[in-house]
Amino acid sequence: MIAVSGVTRAYRDGAVRRQVLRGVDLRLARGETAAIVGPSGSGKSTLLNILGALDTPDAGSVRIDGVDLTASKPSALAGFRNRSLGFVFQFHQLLPDFTALENVMMPGRIAGRPSSPLRAGALALLERVGLADRAGDFPQQLSGGERQRIAICRALVLEPAVLLADEPTGNLDAKSGERVLELMDALRCRRDTTMVLVTHNPEVAKRCGRVLRLDGGRLTALS
Amino acid sequence: MGFVWHIAVRYFRSTRADAHIRALSTLTAGGLAVGTAALVLALAALAGFQSHVLEELAQHTPALQIELAGDGAAGPAGATDPARGLAELAAATNGVAGVQELLYAQGWLAAGERLFAVGVLGYERAPPPWIPVDGEAASGLIVPVSVALRMGLAVGDQVRVVSPRPGLTPVGPQPRTRTLPVDLIYGSGRADDEDDPVLLPLERAAALFARGDRRLDLTLAPGADPEEIGAFLRRGIDPAAATVTTWREANRALLFVLRLEKGLVFSAVALIVAVASFALLAALSMVLSSKRSEIGVLAAMGAPPGRLQRVFLLLGALLSVGGAGLGGAAGAALAAFLDRYRIISTPSDVYVVDYVPFLVRGADVLVVLGVTVLFTAAAAAVGARKASLLDPVEAMRSART
Repeated sequence: MIAVSGVTRAYRDGAVRRQVLRGVDLRLARGETAAIVGPSGSGKSTLLNILGALDTPDAGSVRIDGVDLTASKPSALAGFRNRSLGFVFQFHQLLPDFTALENVMMPGRIAGRPSSPLRAGALALLERVGLADRAGDFPQQLSGGERQRIAICRALVLEPAVLLADEPTGNLDAKSGERVLELMDALRCRRDTTMVLVTHNPEVAKRCGRVLRLDGGRLTALS
Repeated sequence: MGFVWHIAVRYFRSTRADAHIRALSTLTAGGLAVGTAALVLALAALAGFQSHVLEELAQHTPALQIELAGDGAAGPAGATDPARGLAELAAATNGVAGVQELLYAQGWLAAGERLFAVGVLGYERAPPPWIPVDGEAASGLIVPVSVALRMGLAVGDQVRVVSPRPGLTPVGPQPRTRTLPVDLIYGSGRADDEDDPVLLPLERAAALFARGDRRLDLTLAPGADPEEIGAFLRRGIDPAAATVTTWREANRALLFVLRLEKGLVFSAVALIVAVASFALLAALSMVLSSKRSEIGVLAAMGAPPGRLQRVFLLLGALLSVGGAGLGGAAGAALAAFLDRYRIISTPSDVYVVDYVPFLVRGADVLVVLGVTVLFTAAAAAVGARKASLLDPVEAMRSART
C-alpha cells in the first residue's frame, strides 16, 4: 500500500545544508495505522509531506497504491492527492470564505464530482460527527474541536485510500482531542483506510497499530 | 458552478470584507471605468470629427480623377482628343454618373495698373462642387474674394486675363489676353485662400492656356465603389497617358494624419487603462497574499496549478468587467448626449463644424473593450501565475490560524 524506500531529504538554510531525512524506509499495508513520533525538527512533517506528494525527496522512492510519487508530474500528483489522499492538518486549515458544508465538499468540487451526491455525502459525514446543524456556519463561528471535526470530514469525503494527519489533536483540549481521535478511528475502520499520523502525544501514538520514531533522519520502529 | 467559478466568485465577494483590498478593487474598477469611458469618448470625438472631414472631402473631392499626362498626347486607341476620348471611356463605365473636364493653368489678372498672378481653373459645365459659388455664372470670371480684395474688383468689372503662352503676331510673340467680366466673387473659407483659383469656362481657358494641366473629375452613382471603378479604368488606360486617382489616394496624406491622430490619442488615453490594470495587479496580489494559506490547502487537496491559475484569471475578470462595462456604456451614452444636444461648441470660422460632433462606432467600442481585456488579462495573468507557483507546504506554513 505504502512503500517508502531510501528516502533522503535535505534543506538549505542559508549557507548550511540540513539533512532532515537519511534513508527512510517504511512499508504499510492497507488499513494499517502508524504513528510517527520524534522530537521537534526531526523531519516528521517533512516525511508526511513527502507521503502526501506535497514535497519531493532528494533520493529514494515513494509508492502509494502502486503509484510512484517520485516519478509523476505535478499535475498527475495533484490528481493523485485529490483521489487517493486525505489530509488532516494540525491547524484544521479550513477555508474561511466557505461554510462547513462547502469546506467538506471542496475535495469533491476539485474532483468535479456532481453536486447533489457530493452534498449528500458531505451532510452524512457532518451528521456522523454531530455537526449537521452547523453545516451552514463559517469556520470562524465554530470552536476548535468543531473545526477539526469538519477538517476530518473534509479529508474523508472522497473516501481516500490513505489518511495523513499532522498532529490532528495538537491544538485541542483533551476532551476535544479524544473525540477527534475516536472519529478518525471510526471512519477509518469503516473504509479500511491506511493512516499515518504524526504526533508528539504518546497517548495518541498508542492508539495506532505501529509506532515509529523519527530521529536523526532515520525511522525506527518502537512497537 | 464549477470549482474555478465557485472559488473565484467567493473570493470576489470576500474582496468587500478587507478594507485594503476593497479600496484597491474599487480603484481598479473606477480606473477601468474612467479609462474605457475616456477611450470611448475620445474615439467618438475623433470619429465624429473625421466623419465631418470626410464628408467635406467627399463633397469637395471627386470620387475619381483622371489626370492627363503633360502633353496629353495619348489616350484610348483611336481618340483624337485624348481628354475627350478618356471622358467618353469614363462616362461609359458602369457606376460613373458624370464626367467633367477641368484645366489648370497659371496666368495673370490685370485691371488698370494692377497685375496679379493667379491660378486659373477652366470648368466644363459648372464650377466643381469644392468651389463654394453662390449664384449662376455666365461666361465671365468667378474670382476668389482674396484676389478681388487685393485688386479692388467688384461684380461686373472688366478684367484682362493674361496667359504666359505667347501668340505669334506680325510684330513677334505677344502674350495672349482676353478681357472678361467678373460674374461672381466667391470665398473658399480656407486659411490659405491666396491659392484659390480664378474660374472661367473651359473653352475660354483652353483658348488662352491651350492644354495646361487637364483633368477629368468623375462623379459616381450612389453605392458605386471608387476603388473598383478606378481599378477598372486603370486597366483601360495607358499609364503613360493618364493617371487614375481615387479620392482616398488624392487625400492619402490627410487620411494618414487622421489615422495617426486617432492612434496617438488612443494610445495616450489607453494609459489610464494601463494604470488601472496595475491597480488590478495590486488588488490580485493582495488577494493572493491574504489567501495564501487557502491556496496552499486547495493545492494540498489536489487542485492543479492550472486551475488555481484560472481562479485568479477569473477573479481578475470579475474585478475588471464591471468597471470596463460601466465605463464603456457611460462613455457611449455621454458621447451620444454631447452629440445630440451639441453641448460643446467650436468657432465655425475656424473648424468645419460649429460643435464637437461625437460618433460612437461599434468597432471602436469593441477595440476599446479589447484593449481593456488585453491589459487586464495581462495583469491578471501575472497574478494568476503567482498563485499557480505557490508551494502548498510553504503557503500553509505562512498563515497558521
